[in-house]
Amino acid sequence: MATPTKTLNVCGKICPYPDMDTMTTLKKMQKGEVLEVLLDYPLSVERIPRNLKKQGHKLISVEQLSGPNHRMLIEAHGLK
Amino acid sequence: MTPMISGLLVGALFGFALQRGRFCMNSAIRDTILLKDTTLLKSVVMAILVAMVGFALLAMGGLIKISPSGFFWGAHLVGGILFGIGMVLAGGCASGITYRIGEGVVSALSAAIGLTIAGTLTMIGFLAPIKDYLQKGTQIWVTTPVEGAEPIKANPTLANIFGLDHALVAIGLAVIIAIIWIVIALKNREEPEKKEKVPLLTAIFSKGWVWWVTGIAIGLVNVLAFYLSTLAKRSYPLGITSGWAGIAKVLIGFETVTDGVATAYKLGWGDYLIIGIILGTFIAALIAREFKIRWPGWKTLGQTFVGGLLMGFGAITSGGCNVGHILSGVPQLGIGSIVGGIAIILGAWFMAYMLFVRPQKT
Repeated sequence: MATPTKTLNVCGKICPYPDMDTMTTLKKMQKGEVLEVLLDYPLSVERIPRNLKKQGHKLISVEQLSGPNHRMLIEAHGLK
Repeated sequence: MTPMISGLLVGALFGFALQRGRFCMNSAIRDTILLKDTTLLKSVVMAILVAMVGFALLAMGGLIKISPSGFFWGAHLVGGILFGIGMVLAGGCASGITYRIGEGVVSALSAAIGLTIAGTLTMIGFLAPIKDYLQKGTQIWVTTPVEGAEPIKANPTLANIFGLDHALVAIGLAVIIAIIWIVIALKNREEPEKKEKVPLLTAIFSKGWVWWVTGIAIGLVNVLAFYLSTLAKRSYPLGITSGWAGIAKVLIGFETVTDGVATAYKLGWGDYLIIGIILGTFIAALIAREFKIRWPGWKTLGQTFVGGLLMGFGAITSGGCNVGHILSGVPQLGIGSIVGGIAIILGAWFMAYMLFVRPQKT
């Protein structure tokens, strides 16, 4: 199990901030670092994995915590 | 079926499909430039094609009458662009903010309150003269001369401006778009991702729907909406903003006076539709365990409220929101809805650029 380098909580944020915040944070991270995202917006739970690949990042896991609350682990590609 | 039952029923089906499909036209339009993601846009086009064919068939069978909204280019441009700007600020289109209330999204409620206030003021309040000025000043009809009588005026559509049969143009156009789409899709074909098999009930009630299922479902709900609303003497497919204004009219005790007799406004089909959407979403979200009161903070609430105000003024001025114009008017080939829809897209792209793309460049 990968240990997150950084945690981003976007619960309660409106569309499209969960996606935008995740992408901006990943851009600033080094290659191989792991970002943990906590989110509760159903559309983003499906949309973020769809769009990660285009940026070269790698989805490690999506875990449903309770109800709409999800925990996502992403390995940064390191564009810096 | 009374207008109440039928409005609530169609609303509940619409809300259920919106929630399961995460259908939002704000995302559909905005994501094309922001995330280069076209998944929701494909749902929208699918819903339009299904409705285009469905409406044409119902009209051929005499069950509905094609009733496109008026064409007033000035009102469509001003109202549509403001609506597009507003929906990016509000974080959802008119149907998007309505259904998310049923998921417990507080910012969606604040946007809907803004939309209702501005929409009602533009319909019957102090903003109405601006709307009337823009609409009356720029309205264009298709006129057919009648011998010995006044010429017949009709709202222009892609069919009647060329004097062609509606069903022929609607079905023909849907087929052409579908063929172009299939050709493009085959060219850009990607390896399909391996998906785990899930039982049908789980796929319907707990997982998010695939884009084409959402598109077809929403298109079919819209066809049903046109038929049932015709029975209720409303005669238009799905629409959102005037329904919210209708609810506001009841809350403020709005009365119309004819021949000195005051009649209180009563909820109609389109108003029950709104209540149905929220109920349908609530049920869908409960089953999928996705209901949660989401508090976004006061700053976001302010932003979505202002977005809602722009949407309300824009929709009533333009004669339709993203649903009334793009989902319901475009399939009827209404020129006004096509122009109104393009204006919404331009407004949304402008605001998405200002709010999200530009800050990243600096």
